[in-house]
Amino acid sequence: MQPCSYQCGTKEHLHSRRTFLMGTAAGALGFAGMTTMASAQSLKSSQKRVLVINLAGGASQLETWDPKPGTDTGGPFRAIKTSVPGIHICELLAYTAKKMHRLALVRGLNTAEDDHGKGDYIMHTGRRKEPAFDYPHLGSVASKLLSPSESSLPGYLHITPSGGSSFGKQDAAFLGPRFASVTLANGQPPPNLFAPKNLSPDAEQQREQLRSQLNQRFQRSRRSAQTEAYTASFDQAEQFMKQAHIFDTGKEDPRLADRYGKHDFGRHCLMARRLLEHGATFVKVTHSNYDTHHENFDFHIEQLGEFDRSFATLIDDLVDRGLWSSTLVIVMSEFGRTPRINHLYGRDHWSKAWSVALGGCGIQAGAVTGKTNANGTAVTDREVHGGHLFHTYYRALGINPAKNLHTPDERPIPLADPKASAIKELLA
Amino acid sequence: MFLVYFHLAFGLASLPEAQKLAEPVYPRIDTLIIKSMPKEQLTAVTASADSEIIRRLYLDLLGTIPSAQEARTFLNEKSTNKRNQLIDQLLARPEHARHMSHVVDVMLMDRRPDQRVPTAEWQAYLYTAFAENRPWDQLIREILSADGSDPKTRPAAKFLLDRDGEVNQITRDVSRLFFGRNLQCAQCHDHPLVNDYKQEHYYGLAAFFNRTSLFPNGEDKKAVLAEKAEGEVSFQDVFDKAKKVKTTKPRLISLTAINEPAFDKGKEYKVPPKKGEKPQPVFSRRAQLAPILTSKDNHAFARATVNRFWAMLMGRGLIHPLDLDNSENPPSHPAILDLLTKEFIAHHYNLRWLLREITMSQAYQRSSEVPVQLKEIDPTKWVVAPLKPLSPEQMAFAMMQATGLTDAERTALGTKCTEATLYAKLSPQVSPFVSTFGTRPGEPEGHSFLATLEQSLFLKNGSVLRDWLSIRNANLMDRLTRMKDEAQITDDLFLSILTRLPSQEERTEVIKMLQAAPAAQRHTTLSELTWSLLTSVEFRFNH
Repeated sequence: MQPCSYQCGTKEHLHSRRTFLMGTAAGALGFAGMTTMASAQSLKSSQKRVLVINLAGGASQLETWDPKPGTDTGGPFRAIKTSVPGIHICELLAYTAKKMHRLALVRGLNTAEDDHGKGDYIMHTGRRKEPAFDYPHLGSVASKLLSPSESSLPGYLHITPSGGSSFGKQDAAFLGPRFASVTLANGQPPPNLFAPKNLSPDAEQQREQLRSQLNQRFQRSRRSAQTEAYTASFDQAEQFMKQAHIFDTGKEDPRLADRYGKHDFGRHCLMARRLLEHGATFVKVTHSNYDTHHENFDFHIEQLGEFDRSFATLIDDLVDRGLWSSTLVIVMSEFGRTPRINHLYGRDHWSKAWSVALGGCGIQAGAVTGKTNANGTAVTDREVHGGHLFHTYYRALGINPAKNLHTPDERPIPLADPKASAIKELLA
Repeated sequence: MFLVYFHLAFGLASLPEAQKLAEPVYPRIDTLIIKSMPKEQLTAVTASADSEIIRRLYLDLLGTIPSAQEARTFLNEKSTNKRNQLIDQLLARPEHARHMSHVVDVMLMDRRPDQRVPTAEWQAYLYTAFAENRPWDQLIREILSADGSDPKTRPAAKFLLDRDGEVNQITRDVSRLFFGRNLQCAQCHDHPLVNDYKQEHYYGLAAFFNRTSLFPNGEDKKAVLAEKAEGEVSFQDVFDKAKKVKTTKPRLISLTAINEPAFDKGKEYKVPPKKGEKPQPVFSRRAQLAPILTSKDNHAFARATVNRFWAMLMGRGLIHPLDLDNSENPPSHPAILDLLTKEFIAHHYNLRWLLREITMSQAYQRSSEVPVQLKEIDPTKWVVAPLKPLSPEQMAFAMMQATGLTDAERTALGTKCTEATLYAKLSPQVSPFVSTFGTRPGEPEGHSFLATLEQSLFLKNGSVLRDWLSIRNANLMDRLTRMKDEAQITDDLFLSILTRLPSQEERTEVIKMLQAAPAAQRHTTLSELTWSLLTSVEFRFNH
């Protein structure tokens, strides 16, 4: 396989165009239009959740949420009407356009960081990278603050297109590995989720019973927060193992499953729904790869062709299940793409004026904030950066962004950058 | 025994002084601890059982648990002095040096991924140092003085090289590890919570390293440390509205600035900076630090060291947290800390002496069981022994010993078995434990105990433990499946894994389980029993 030539060659972009196209070809056979499910049960819960769709590599704002048709930077695509009068988005998002009344747009984002890793850091932490200090990811904070104590699923789940499933450590920073991401590579469960094959349920029960007897005896005179935490981690493992069926998407009605598209991203969105409806707190789905330095337009047709239908279906399913109003939905990248079209019909890294889409919990549906100029080269109204987004996320979730987290040495760290504030007009 | 060992280490010392130094300190530790204890607690103090203390000593001094045979021998030993004898035996074993090489690696490197010096070479360097009981001050001088250019001393330069020779990383960790003061917060302003920590302390220390950099560059895996002859630190308080820019010469916390010779222009360098050549100043700021840091006048260094190793054995520091030594956070027992600091210096920074004195104290050797009459336990009084979670390395080696992998490898090695050949066989098994149970790379260990889902799934369903529970020549399963008598099996099982015999209640239970299972399933039953013991709280902690 040849490395993909349209990308900028960093390690973020090791996907080949061929695997990418194979996925798309299979995905062409969707099952359109089905939005209600007879079997769908409306879930009611006070628990708040977060769903992030991460369009990795940097999706173009001009081919998504802030089109500039007919200008020198606009490219070949039209802007189309949406379900909200007055809001137009790119025609590549035809299905999503019909769900616009559930979403809100931030069109005045200036994150001032054109490096993949550093841009990604800003979008995941709401802070710029500092030399000797790491901030936790939104997913880790959500895991800490929103996960019910009896939750049977890890708090921060990340569905990636490829790689190996694993337990993370770094992204929780000072919050500790308990709140770090668990990677579900290609939707596969994390390591060691299933009991050893040659261990019978009876034997499992017997060994657990003896373990717990030993623990009770030892803890009669030697109980501490640490011994409790250790025994609790086994209970958590047991609970999680009972939920392992979530990873078996084979149980889904194929016609309903196919509405998501018969491609990896569609399956991953379906998995996200399954996780959220079984009580997951934070699910991130990464769709790759939007780093279109070359043939930007062809690649956005293909990539957004996957994203559009899957995302619209996911919105429908979350609404049907009663999860939408308690789930904050964020569609983001590490940055946008240059208005200027380069000589390879590509667009390059661009963070000065780009967009994210929000929806669900605490978000004013149908709202738009921020404006860029006619050809999208600058923000002209209501410019915001990563700090503002994080204030908005926390407010939408009912969390005070000024609240402090504490490092192990008791240093107070405010949830969101104290120099920024929430984008009030986006809050419901 | 102690005198012999003492003379080996300091053959040149004059006898009267040597006799004075040979006087044990641990009785004085105990007097001071007892003095600080409230009366109702004093009556509750209980000494550990032999089975408790042998497991504790093995884990603390060797990083693993004793074999069933070693435990049996100790439990049957009648000598009243057997605990002190055991301590001296353990401190002399090569496994002790190995354990210390792990402990000090993690202490100094925080499980950072390798940059320029491979961990294996660094650990081998530490192993050699601990095997010969190199004085701690000498070891730290070597570590802070090596520049990486001499292949023979390059491993010692890992501390500086793998911190990228970067002034802020080094300043933070030198202050934290060798002064017991985390000055990181004083980088941008005087410490907001600790009045003693000033910005000039941070920059005084930083000034030893601000001229240092990697040569030829950071990308080169063989890079060495280079230094310029010019450049001053400058700092301003981020809260200072006047934005006054300050500077300082290199100086240790609490000491005056060092004398820095002045040079005529053009005479500052032995090798002047030139493209492709490593510059060498006539006067190296970095070289000044190690000797004055480790000098006898700088008590902060010995004090921080004593406090760290006290915490390793006693579960928490006399000053707690370890890197927050300041006037508003006094030690729980100032007199003990002063005594040990003074004696540690007098004993020429002899780490084995320090570990020996602490482990021989009654305070160390208490039972970890909380007496029923006590509702609350003040951890600073050491009324009961603390529960210390096993480090990833201790856990791996203890589980290998418990399941008999250690014995199986020893048998397989036969006459070629030494500590080093056995370690070479076993050490590759440690890495899954480090990645599963260790803290985030680059983060100091021991801030908090972690019990994660990843860990419990690893223990419940992972293949590592599962493999160790299959039958292999001379391992635990092999030994137990050959035994017929259920009572004997039960005793061996408990002794091998928990270093104690089962209670009557436990013995009855386990015998019943063994008898209930068909003979053909004996191995399955035994492996599940073993699993239950291995994953119990009792095994997870050093108690």
